[in-house]
Amino acid sequence: MGITVEGVSKSFGSFTALQPIELEARPGEFLALLGPSGSGKTTLLRIIAGLEQADTGRVLFDGEDVTGRPVTQRGVGFVFQHYALFKHMTVADNIAFGLTVRPRRLRPAKAEIERRVAELLELVQLKDLGRRYPAQLSGGQRQRVALARALAVEPRILLLDEPFGALDAKVRKELRRWLRELHDRMGLTSIFVTHDQEEALELADRVVVMDHGRIEQVAVPDAVYRAPASAFVFDFVGESNRLPVTVERGRARFGSALLDAGDAADGPGLLFFRPHDVEPALGGEGTLSATVTLARPRAGMTRVEAALDGLDAPLELDLPGEPPAVGERITVRPTRLQVFPDRR
Amino acid sequence: MPAAMRSARRSVIPGFGLSLGFTILYLSLIVLIPLSAVFVRTLAEPSAIVETALAPRALAAYRLSFGASALAAAVNAVFGLLIAWVLVRYDFPLKRIVSAMVDLPFALPTAVAGIALTALYSSNGWIGQFLAPLGLKLAYTPAGVVIALVFIGLPFVVRSVEPVLADLGRDVEEASASLGASRVTTFRRVVLPAIAPALLTGFALAFARGIGEYGSVIFIAGNMPYESEIAPLLIITQLEQYDYAGATAIACVMLVASFAMLLAINLLQIATRKRMQG
Repeated sequence: MGITVEGVSKSFGSFTALQPIELEARPGEFLALLGPSGSGKTTLLRIIAGLEQADTGRVLFDGEDVTGRPVTQRGVGFVFQHYALFKHMTVADNIAFGLTVRPRRLRPAKAEIERRVAELLELVQLKDLGRRYPAQLSGGQRQRVALARALAVEPRILLLDEPFGALDAKVRKELRRWLRELHDRMGLTSIFVTHDQEEALELADRVVVMDHGRIEQVAVPDAVYRAPASAFVFDFVGESNRLPVTVERGRARFGSALLDAGDAADGPGLLFFRPHDVEPALGGEGTLSATVTLARPRAGMTRVEAALDGLDAPLELDLPGEPPAVGERITVRPTRLQVFPDRR
Repeated sequence: MPAAMRSARRSVIPGFGLSLGFTILYLSLIVLIPLSAVFVRTLAEPSAIVETALAPRALAAYRLSFGASALAAAVNAVFGLLIAWVLVRYDFPLKRIVSAMVDLPFALPTAVAGIALTALYSSNGWIGQFLAPLGLKLAYTPAGVVIALVFIGLPFVVRSVEPVLADLGRDVEEASASLGASRVTTFRRVVLPAIAPALLTGFALAFARGIGEYGSVIFIAGNMPYESEIAPLLIITQLEQYDYAGATAIACVMLVASFAMLLAINLLQIATRKRMQG
């Protein structure tokens, strides 16, 4: 089921949570809303779910306007960051909840509900835990129960708010892979909110990067990483070095260094490059010279931190070969860089 | 570090022996010894039990005391929950003042409460004057007793339920709604079971307070024997007639009955709470 968001905005008092947003999730797509806290990603998700009302704009499911439809009628599965399980019910009762609250004429028979619950327990790999209470489960198990509960009502859309946020790294990774499989197998359209870029890049078909209530970029994970659309995206996704520069006729000046600025407009700019997009150089135009402050071996290369005159944060560089000594002067040439206008 | 581990195994929280010993001593001095004195005195003169404590007048007083307390606690359970809900879920101007008002029955001398309520509900009082033409007489009847006990018991329910309600995340209710449950269903199947233990605690406290309440009730009750006379008042009456055996015998019956009820409520609470903590 496709999801369309048209001109949706939202304010809480004087705080603008969302500027007018346009977004489209294609049927069967797995979208990630990625951004720092306060970027409006959760608000957008909650508006799509109907848990929050937009100030302006419309939400459409498969072209049908659902803006005025309350959450109880939208038929979306929603998974909460802290699971939101019903503590006084067994796992099986939690999963059955969505079916048992249906009006009598739509409610499946008791045996049918039990069959569905058993099926879902199997699906989330908690077959023997139906009689337990949520308090008796681990975090990862609880989140799977929450997922089974959301899936019990057979939604076509699954919305997940930081679904792995409260879990430790190992469980998170397992659950992530498993969720992706589930999404594909059940033919869902899913949107999940995360502030973890690794999660977004690994799991999603497309990543929606948000900041200050605006969408900065919507792209496939590779493009978000390789061709960030804005300074914010470059900074937020992946590791990067950031230099405040002055652009003049295609050249970016930082101190005495001159680097290629591509087609960036003249004026103050921000120059970015990734730690691994550098090569050792001898000097001259297009190079930076810095003093090594730290060198640690990393898989196949050396991570070097080097102080650059006029920059507070050290440069982070991945260099091949033997680690340089601390205090040594090194010169590198950024092989891929991007310059964005500095709006401040 | 085997030595350190051994001491850690003994107990992680220090001072168990001392604190338990103190707890038992304190409870004995404050609660157990005075109460057992009641029993000892009663057993010294067992005839008083039959003569006074099980006399029809006493039985009527028990019925009123326990009945009115239970009714008042039930009323408080409903409206106290409502007030707690409003205090937890909504922000509105003067919220702090409203919240402080809930505690007033705690702080007010009970006699003041009794006199104020009587003035309100008597047939020429602010509220009573409108009820009198309708044939409703609240002051000086058992209904007056219930009114006084509702006033006295309210904070117990509100303050017991409030933290649990605040702790019950909004997301749980949202989850219920996203699964298609109506507001009523969400309240009945999600909110109410979650706060049931706290609500029971509040009920039990309000109920217990009601049974023991004396000051506010005697002003509004009218204190007619067999009709609007509460058990604590009957005890005072016996004392005033120097019938100490009779007074302690009634006290004894009250104690046993109260203890049995509170124990039952406690067990019920444990049963409901246990499931949630796994």
